[in-house]
Order: sequence, then structure tokens, then C-alpha cells
Amino acid sequence: MLKEIRFALRSLAKSPAFTLIAIATLALAIGANTAVLSLVNALLIRPLPYRAPQRLVLLLQHFKAQNLERIPVSPPEFIDYESRAQSFERLGAFGYANFNLANSNKPERIAGAVVTAGVFPLLGVAPVQGRFFEPEECKPGRNDVVIISERLWRQKFSRDAQIVGTKLLLDGKSFTVVGVMPEGFDFPLQLFNLGAGGQFGGRADIWQPLAFTDKELQVRYSRSYFIVGRLKPGTSLAQAQAEIETINDQMRREHSDNYSQDGSFGGDVFSLKELAVAGMRPALLILLGAVVLVLLIGCANLTTMLLARAASREREMAIRVALGAGPMRVLKQVLTESVLLALLGGMVGLLLAVWGVDLLKHIGASTVPRLREVNLDLRVLAMTFGTAVGTGILFGLVPGIACAKPELTESLKEGGRSSTQGRRRNRLRSALVVSEVALALVLLTSAALLMKSFVRLQNASPGFDPHNVLTMEVSLPELRYPDNTTIVRFSDEAQRRIAALPGVQFAAVTTILPLAGTNSDSSFAIEGRTNDRNAPAPDEEKREVSANYFRAIGTPLIRGRFFTVADNADAQPVIIINQALAKKYWPNQDAVGKRIVMGGMSSHPTWITIVGVVGDIKHTGLDAEPKPEMYVPFAQDPYKSMIFTVRSGQDPRLLASAIRSQIQAIDPAQPVANIRTFEQVIADSVAPRRLSVLLLGVFAGAAVILASVGIYGVISFLVVQRTYEIGVRMALGAQRADVLRLVIGRALKLVGVGTAVGLFLAFFGTRALQALLYRVSAFDAPTFLLVSLILGIVALAASYLPALRATRADPMIALSQNA
Amino acid sequence: MIRLHGVERVYPLAKGKFFYVLRDIDLDVAEGDFVSIMGPSGAGKSSLLHILGMHDHGWTGEYFFGDTAVHLLKAKERAALRNEQIGFVFQSYHLLDDLTVYENLDIPLSYRHVGKSERAAMVADTLDRFQIVGKKDLYPRQLSGGQQQLVGVARAIISNPKLILADEPTGNLHSSQGEEIMNLFKKLNSEGTTIIQVTHSEKNAAYGNRIIQLRDGWVV
Repeated sequence: MLKEIRFALRSLAKSPAFTLIAIATLALAIGANTAVLSLVNALLIRPLPYRAPQRLVLLLQHFKAQNLERIPVSPPEFIDYESRAQSFERLGAFGYANFNLANSNKPERIAGAVVTAGVFPLLGVAPVQGRFFEPEECKPGRNDVVIISERLWRQKFSRDAQIVGTKLLLDGKSFTVVGVMPEGFDFPLQLFNLGAGGQFGGRADIWQPLAFTDKELQVRYSRSYFIVGRLKPGTSLAQAQAEIETINDQMRREHSDNYSQDGSFGGDVFSLKELAVAGMRPALLILLGAVVLVLLIGCANLTTMLLARAASREREMAIRVALGAGPMRVLKQVLTESVLLALLGGMVGLLLAVWGVDLLKHIGASTVPRLREVNLDLRVLAMTFGTAVGTGILFGLVPGIACAKPELTESLKEGGRSSTQGRRRNRLRSALVVSEVALALVLLTSAALLMKSFVRLQNASPGFDPHNVLTMEVSLPELRYPDNTTIVRFSDEAQRRIAALPGVQFAAVTTILPLAGTNSDSSFAIEGRTNDRNAPAPDEEKREVSANYFRAIGTPLIRGRFFTVADNADAQPVIIINQALAKKYWPNQDAVGKRIVMGGMSSHPTWITIVGVVGDIKHTGLDAEPKPEMYVPFAQDPYKSMIFTVRSGQDPRLLASAIRSQIQAIDPAQPVANIRTFEQVIADSVAPRRLSVLLLGVFAGAAVILASVGIYGVISFLVVQRTYEIGVRMALGAQRADVLRLVIGRALKLVGVGTAVGLFLAFFGTRALQALLYRVSAFDAPTFLLVSLILGIVALAASYLPALRATRADPMIALSQNA
Repeated sequence: MIRLHGVERVYPLAKGKFFYVLRDIDLDVAEGDFVSIMGPSGAGKSSLLHILGMHDHGWTGEYFFGDTAVHLLKAKERAALRNEQIGFVFQSYHLLDDLTVYENLDIPLSYRHVGKSERAAMVADTLDRFQIVGKKDLYPRQLSGGQQQLVGVARAIISNPKLILADEPTGNLHSSQGEEIMNLFKKLNSEGTTIIQVTHSEKNAAYGNRIIQLRDGWVV
């Protein structure tokens, strides 16, 4: 074996150009595979960072009649589940939260969560310092303790060994640190797809005990918390689901005032892992498919190169066989060379993968947070090694078999010309190039479709004008802002100060920002329309906005009026709805002037009058149709967490510092977080898609490069092989143009067949993309045509040099070599 | 028809030295001649033939083909003249292996931009003339040596050249096959085609009306 390796190394060193191109081809193919395998491993395959994560579930609710899915639960509902469910070892509740941390420099908003005492134990991750929360600490007035993350401990406290017991000033209140979670611990994961991962939801660094207030425990319809649970060993998801449905039935019967009796209310048990990965799975699988295609193209390239190399070594192999080498021995020699090439290519590919993954994390981690977890672990290294050896055997096998059975007589004679085996290998080489072109076309078409879709998505109107608008988030602490009056006072003063800044056209607040990943809804009743007790009440999305909000974001007024400063807490309740809501509930009427009441109808309803209809805004995504929405004046229903939206006549980023100063002039302890232009908000909303398009584009580019190298190689070899024929043709009168036509024509024929096969494959393959495409058909003819044209041009370019070389063939030399 | 005056072919060697393949060749060939160029191996016979056939451009001296001063023409002009006036028959036939007999005959006409229907007629005539119609769809590897050379000769004359150059046309054939080819040449010559052949065979040389001896690049 050592002899074979030594000889293989020597043989490869003698052909540096071939060796370098082969290694580069493999490095590209294996590197891309390794990088994407790392992604798939970290994001789809690797278990979540909790104890026995396969038994962890999330419990969410739905109201099917109102198209509400995966919605949180209320505290009374959590208590019911916790006390009645038998399928779980433990259930815990949690909610997203933010904390204003006061420190010596400036106040800072830290993302966090509130959790019941059972959450950390059921996740099975112990703190590295301190302890879990005690059940007693999950009561109002007793929950002034926190657990912090290792990251916060490191960044803010320099890993102070005395951290447990340290006091932190959060939201103006003193909290004691009782524990530190280990490095890498992440809960709740931002990709639980629960709609709170964007706005107001960074990676949690502070956890506080969740203490339900008495008021919260009375109200069944205010749903803001999520339930995490650990199934008992041996209990399946289906069994847990059945039990939850039974509990829901009980709730419906026992609290019939709160639930419609039509069966649309229910609960769902989701695997935690499934929720974390479901959104990413289609894109990752498509990427995996893409790199497999790149690998196949790389292998095809290598096979054609090795076949050409085998043809040039036919005499050597024939001599070996004539001297007694068995076919297996010859095969072993060729396979040693190809596996060696593959291993060298694999090593370089691994380096490329490391850089590639680092680059990916750098550009993508802010929008696909779990990208932080991607690394090249042992499993991926083993897969890479396996891929390298596998490809080495794959692309070495065919030429190896060809070498192992040479046509002795033909090969040992001087200048044997066109043998049967030679023609067979030519057909094989041609078939490989056709396959490469076909696969490259599939990849290129997919990338082109996704790019076209992405461009259309980016150009889609969101329903407002995002240019020159700055947004920033403020969360007011309860201690300093205990009631609506103080909240509104802060909000009004901040808007007044901001609006007075030079360059500011409009300043406003909202509680929910479009395309930022959060939502809020409310049920309501319409005057004059009695709800059937058995039918669900209307339930639509609801936001709280200040008077200048629609002007600030540039949403048009369709009917009626915008809010004014007169629409305050002392005024008659008013509401603005969007066109979609108006169409849904008052399809052939003017909605302005109509009245609704929030929640259910009561004996003394507080009527709210519709004063205006605004244009539809795309809230959940640029590719989603606008939903019915209603807007109430912020002054009539304020929230501590608000987002300022400021329209400027210039680059709004120039105002960031001044706006922050104005807010902190009102309250120096009040941090401002997540300052982004609205264009950035939109860009962030499509960032995962952008990443997929970018990656697929890179792989498609790699595939085209590899395919063109393949075409160049095959045509070059063809020219060498046909030097004699070209010489005869020139002796018979062929001019330069005739020779060019002969060689390029051959290349175009191969590419033509490859393109036809590729179009056929793409026609079926691109169906898998349809779910990811926006306003682009998977069978978009112009895209298919453009891609075919591009490949044709690439083929022309790749075959031009060899064709030019062919025209320089000297017929004299060609004829004398084969006389 | 052909006049060579002072034609020389030289190859440079290392250290400023030169190798003379042909030296001071003076040659006159009249129309209708059947000339045999003879001489030992390395005498320069094939080189002279390739100069006459305008395949080789690395020579010096004067070469007149009819009234045309070939030595003053550019390579492209020579190629055009060659295509019009000269047919070549090779020792190794040099048929194109991946083309049928029909296609091998068609190739030189396509390079002369002859129209498709005219080409078809000329190929059909030639196939008929050489009595190889039945073999038109066969590939060279399916023919015997003699049949391949027959096709080679047919290809050389299909465009009605004034001059045929043959480089050891029977070198790879059995004697009976060789005789057939030489008789064919004789017939073509009697019909007016000028033929210049390179041969080692006295018997083949006897078919011609003139012999030119070459030794060490000189005409003796």
C-alpha cells in the first residue's frame, strides 16, 4: 500500500496543473458540502442544549374559527394544565421580558424572560453558580431575585466570583442575583416561532421568577405566557395531545362564558425541537440539495479529468498488465491516486469550510440566531472524511476499471488511433459533461428563481413608506411608571421633544411595529350584531398608536380621519381600522361611524367609534397578505413597552443620538434600545431569505465554474485527440473558420444536450422551491431561457481557447505523426 | 505546369547549425506528366511532395504553378490555390474514421463551399466511377486496405484537380491491390490529370513517364 501511495504522489507531482485543478475542484465541492453539513448538523440534527431534549414540548392554544394558531395561554389556564395534566413530569410557564439595567455608564435594556420555578429544573440545565428559583419566589413581592447568563456575567461583571448575592438595579428596583446559567445556555430560543423573537425579544440574559398577580389569575382571556413541559418517560406526543384536549373540554364546560362552544378552541402539544427547526428546514434541505449537486458536478469533472489521464496512461497500464499486473492491482493503483487526491482536496475543503462557516456566522447570526451554534464538530469532520473518501472512490472507479482492462495490442502498437475502447471512453466523457451541464443548469435555475423572487419581495410595497424613518424601543419600568397617566405623560413629552428636533417631520409611538415579528390581537363585538354563544367572537389584530403614527410611517388615510391629541383618556373611545377589516365586516357599507366593543358584549358596553379607515399594512411579512387590523389611540390604552417612529427629511440615523438625549432628558435612567431605520427593519425581516439566496447563488456560481472547467477539459482533450483528424481536414482544405466551427460546434452540441436534460430536470426540481417563491412561478419561462443562454455563453467561452489551439495544428505534423 | 527554381528546405539545429532537407531544387513538370520521385529514405522525397502540395511553407526559392508565383502568395492564398488545383493521396490513406465513405468524399467539397445538391451529385458520380456505391455507408474500419486507398484516391480527384500528388500510395497495400491503384492512376493520367508520385518501387515508377532521383536533398 505504501508503494502505491508513494507512486501516486510521484505521479501527481509530475502533473502539477492537473493535480492543482483536481484539488481545487474537490476543495470547492467538499468545502461547500462540509459548510452546509455543519449548518444542517447544528440547526436540524444536533439536539437542543437541554437534558433529554426529545421529551421537551411546548403547549400552545388555538382558536381555529378566528384563524388564531400557536397563541399563548393565560395564567388561570396554565394553573389548570399544571394541576390536571398527568402526561408530564413537569410543566412551567414563561414569558418574554426586558429589563432596564442601570449601570455606571448609561442605562441599558437587557433581554430576558420571566419563568416559573419549574422551568429550569425541567430543562435539566443546572446553574454554574448559585441555584434555581424557589417556588416561594414565584409570588408577587417575593420575586426580587434574578438568574443571569454567563454572557452577562462575563461582559458586565468580569466573571466576578462573588456574583451570587450581588444586587442589580433593574427597572429602578433592586434584585439579587441568585444564580448564573452556564455558557451557551439559551432559553427561550428565538426560533420557537412564537412571534416574540424580533421586537422586544433578544437572546435572554436575565431570568426573573414569574409571579402571577391576583388580577392575572382571574382573567382567562389575557394570554401572554407560554408553557414548556417535559413528557413522562414512555409518554408519546399523541398521548399528551389527547390529554390536553380533554383538559380543554373541561375548561370549556367550566368556564362557558370565556370559551365558544363550537369546539374551535383547543390546545396543541409541539415538540420543542420541531418548533425550533420547522421554519428553517425547507431552506436548509434545499441548500443541502444544492451542495450535493455541486459535489456531483465536481465528481463528474474529476472523472472526466481522470479518464483523460487514463487515456494518456494507457500504454503504461498496458505494459504493467503485459508484465503481469492483475486488474485489481491496476485498479488499486488508480484508486489510490484518486482517494489521495480526494483527501488532499478534502483537507483544503475543510479549511474553506472553516472560513465559510465563520463568514456565514458573521453575516447571518444576527438574523438566524442559532447560527452562533454552528461549528465543525467531530460528527461533521467524520462526514467530511467519509465524503472525501467516497468521492475519491466514486470518481476513481470508472477510470480505474478502464485502466485495469487495456486493449493490449492496440495500446502496445505505436500510434494506435481510434480504438473501440477509446470511442467508448469518449462517449462516457461526453455523457459526464452533459450531466455536469444538466446539474449546473438545475442549480443555476433554482438560484435565478430565488433571486428573482427576492428582488420582487424587496420591491413589494409594505403599505407604508419606510424611507427616512427611524424606530427605537423603550420599555418603561413599573416602579417609575405605575399607571396609565405616567406612561402617557412620558410618551407625550417624548414625542413633543422629538418633534421639535431639527429635521424631524413627525414623531409618534406604537406598541407593535410592522414586520418586526410580534403581534397582538383582541376579540370584539359589533353593534347590532348579536354573537351566537356557540360561535366565536370576531378577533383581529390590534395596535395602540399615537396621533401622528400614520403620518410618521406614511400610511394613507382612506376614509374619515386620523387620531388627534384630543383622542385622549378623557375623550370618547375611538378606533381606526384598516381596509381589510372594513371589507371583512362592513363589505358594502361605510365603516366610519360604526361602533364596536372590545372583548364580549356586556350589559354596559363601552362603545368605541370607528373614526377612520387607513390603507393596509403588511405586518407579518412582505410576502404575506395584509390582515384586518385595528388601531386605538395610545393615550386611551397605553403600554409600558412602546416603539418610537420618527420621520425625518434627511438620513434618520443622524437623529439617533439626539433622540436618545431627549428621552433621557425626561428620564435619565431610561435606556433606548434597538435603534433601526425602518428600511433596516424590513431588511431584517427578509434576512433569512436573503441568506438562502446568497448561499444558493454562491453554489450555483461554483457549479457553473465547475461545469465550464469540465467543458474546457473535455474540449481540450478532444482537440488533442483529434489533432490528426484536424490535420487531415486542413490538408483537405479546411480553413480556420471550419476548424473553429468543428470544435465549438461539438462543445455546443454537448451543452445543448445537457441544457435540454437540465431543463427537463429543472422543470420537476424547481417545484420544491414554490413555497419559497414570491410572485414567481417555479416554471418561469424567461428565467429558464436566460439560464440556458448563460450556459451557452459559458460553453462558448470555455471551448474557445481549445478551438483556437486546434486552428494552429500543423497538418504536416499531424499527418506525419499518424502515417 | 510546375516550375521550381532554387528551392531549398532547411531546419535549424542547436548551436546555429542547419539541416538541409532539400538543396537547390530545380524542377519542371509539364501538364499531363506522370512523374515518379525516387530515392533512398531521408532523401527529401516527401518533403518535396509537401512543398509541391503547398502544405509546407518553410521553404525558399521560386515555385510557379502555371502562371502563379506561389512563392509570392500568402499561406491563405496558397491554401485556396491548393484546394482548387491539387489532390493528395497519402500512404496511410488518412481517411476520417468517424465518417462514412460518402462523408469522406463529401468533406473536401464542403471545404470548397460547393452547394449541397451539387456536392451530392459529385459524390454520387465519384462513387459510381470508382464502383464503390455499395460501400458508401461503410466506415473506413470496415474496408480493406485497398478499398480504403481507393476511397483516398476518389477523395483526391473528386473536385477535378489538375494535379494529383501521391505519397507512397501503395506502401501499405498488397501487390494486387497496389496494381489496381497504379492502373487507376494510369487511367487518370491518360484522361489528362498530371500525377507526381513518391515511390520506392521500380514497378510503380514504371507506370509513369519520368523519374526524378533525389539523394541527400539534391536532384541527381
